[in-house]
Amino acid sequence: MLEKLGLNIKIGFFLALRQIRKSNPWTTGLIVFVMVLTFLNLVVVSGILVGLIEGSISAWHKQYTGDIIISALLNKDYIENSPNIINLVRGLPEVKNMSVRYNKGVILEANYQTKKINDKPNTASAQLIGINPGQEDALTGLSSHVIDGSYLTPADYDKVLIGNFLLKQYVPVDSPGFTALENVGVGTKIRIKVNDVTKEVTVKGILKSKVDNVSMGLYMIDSEVKSLIGRGDGNAAQIAMTLKDGADPLAVKRKLVLAGVDKSAKVQTYVDAQPKFLKDIIATFAMLGNALSSIGLVVASITIFIVIFINALTRRKFIGILKGIGINGQAIEISYIFQSMFYAFLGAAIGLIIIYFALVPLFLAHPIDFPFSDGILVAPFGETLIRVALLVGSTIIAGYIPARMIIRKNTLDSILGRN
Amino acid sequence: MIQTKDLVKTFKDGEAETKVLKGIDFRAENGEFIVIMGRSGSGKSTFLYQMSLLDEPTSGQIKINGKDTHDMKPEEKILFRLTNCGYVFQDYALLPELTAVENVVLPLLMQNIDKKKAYAIAKEALTKVGLAHRFDNIPSHMSGGEQQRTSIARAIAHKPKILFADEPTANLDNESSKAVIDIFKDLHKDGQTIIMVTHEEQYADMAQKIIRLDDGKIISETVNKKK
Repeated sequence: MLEKLGLNIKIGFFLALRQIRKSNPWTTGLIVFVMVLTFLNLVVVSGILVGLIEGSISAWHKQYTGDIIISALLNKDYIENSPNIINLVRGLPEVKNMSVRYNKGVILEANYQTKKINDKPNTASAQLIGINPGQEDALTGLSSHVIDGSYLTPADYDKVLIGNFLLKQYVPVDSPGFTALENVGVGTKIRIKVNDVTKEVTVKGILKSKVDNVSMGLYMIDSEVKSLIGRGDGNAAQIAMTLKDGADPLAVKRKLVLAGVDKSAKVQTYVDAQPKFLKDIIATFAMLGNALSSIGLVVASITIFIVIFINALTRRKFIGILKGIGINGQAIEISYIFQSMFYAFLGAAIGLIIIYFALVPLFLAHPIDFPFSDGILVAPFGETLIRVALLVGSTIIAGYIPARMIIRKNTLDSILGRN
Repeated sequence: MIQTKDLVKTFKDGEAETKVLKGIDFRAENGEFIVIMGRSGSGKSTFLYQMSLLDEPTSGQIKINGKDTHDMKPEEKILFRLTNCGYVFQDYALLPELTAVENVVLPLLMQNIDKKKAYAIAKEALTKVGLAHRFDNIPSHMSGGEQQRTSIARAIAHKPKILFADEPTANLDNESSKAVIDIFKDLHKDGQTIIMVTHEEQYADMAQKIIRLDDGKIISETVNKKK
């Protein structure tokens, strides 16, 4: 049985090889082109959809949380015992950069000098974030997000960086419940109101980022924030850190937990800290991508079916001759399977080259500028290989069915071209 | 030995039925050269296709070397054709994408003969029909006569028990026809059983037995005493 199958495979390969060699190069080119497009559709559609969110996650990781973030417990504004935790973190050999943040919800007010009694106040709610400008920049590259004005220096006691979504001119839509300051730019004086304290500061720079915590934040040097919010005890709201190359965030998190940091703070890796909606969107987009890819797969299968059917139909006489001279029907079927596999493998191989040598590097260098993320192409090699298998599998079936339909016809009718 | 008994073949086209073979009894011994003749539509080709197991008779019996072919499964018939029969068709029936030697070697490979040996046999068969210089030519680069000789080489390479030929010279010029017929004569001399359908009277002379068909029946069976 196996010997017979082996022989049929050998003969099928013999026939397929010669048919492919003698086939019209334009027809072969066109079929392979369709296979390439189908394969790209399979990988790129879902890859872009997932990459769109991946870009958002990557931004969240790089621009805000770092590799690990320690933050206040849910019922607290600050991390108790922060100075000790900061010292602990500073002493960890895996830690590359660290930024300590002092956060507080505040009200901002602008144009208060020119406002008349009955005018609506020009105010907005914001998160005030006290930072060491050098540490924060080393951790998140915050200075690179300044689109107007300049970055903070340690001596900027009465200056702030303001997120663009706190300024009316940068907010694309009017949303009820969301207020932004009008007529505020670099050099404008604004007031920060926290509890009963008010401080006048000057906008030194405007930040633009696709991470909401940055684009809706108000950055100020830490010493000023501490005194403004009465945080003389040195307790911070967040401690974010990046790790040295090769260090495992999970292992470092475990170390911190073992040291008891989790008693007074939340310790999260950047994966833990991802907002849940991002995780939900990834799952949704992956499903959407698969659904769209499935349509592409069906189209490719139909294409191969038609190609093989027409091929087998026009070669019906020769199929009859093959059967007539004693070539096993299974060997003939296998020859068509080999042809389908050739088209699918060649299409997938060209597709793989395009994806990994052109599209992935291109999107990494020039991410797609989506409103809420810089979209990249996510194409993990393992998943891509699964898609290769899907394409090859479906084309094998699509090639086998029409070949079998023709091969099953009466031998003599095929030779003589009778219906 | 091949024997048919009350062989009937009817073609159906919707309600209409055409009885092409009307109960043929026939017998050919091993090593015989038999020519089947008849006017167009007499049923001679249909008779050959039934005998050679390329088609299924409506009723009747075909026995080859004592084996009743009626009970054979389609797979068995294909295998039987591969190992016992050789075919030469009017229009050569070569595979256009294969070279001459590949056309000839294919049935040998299907018999699981070692590749080297199969190619050697195929080349020997092509040499025998005078095509030693055409091994690597595809059919479209050969003349009709050369294609038909390739077809004969394919039919005889595996040394079949019976060689069936359906109007092998019908599409050929006189010179090529003569070359094909000479090959058949030589094969017969070597003991090959040949059953050939033709409407060309001049080739009847070389056969040992001439069967004449008309309206689906054998109307005469002549033994050639010169042979």
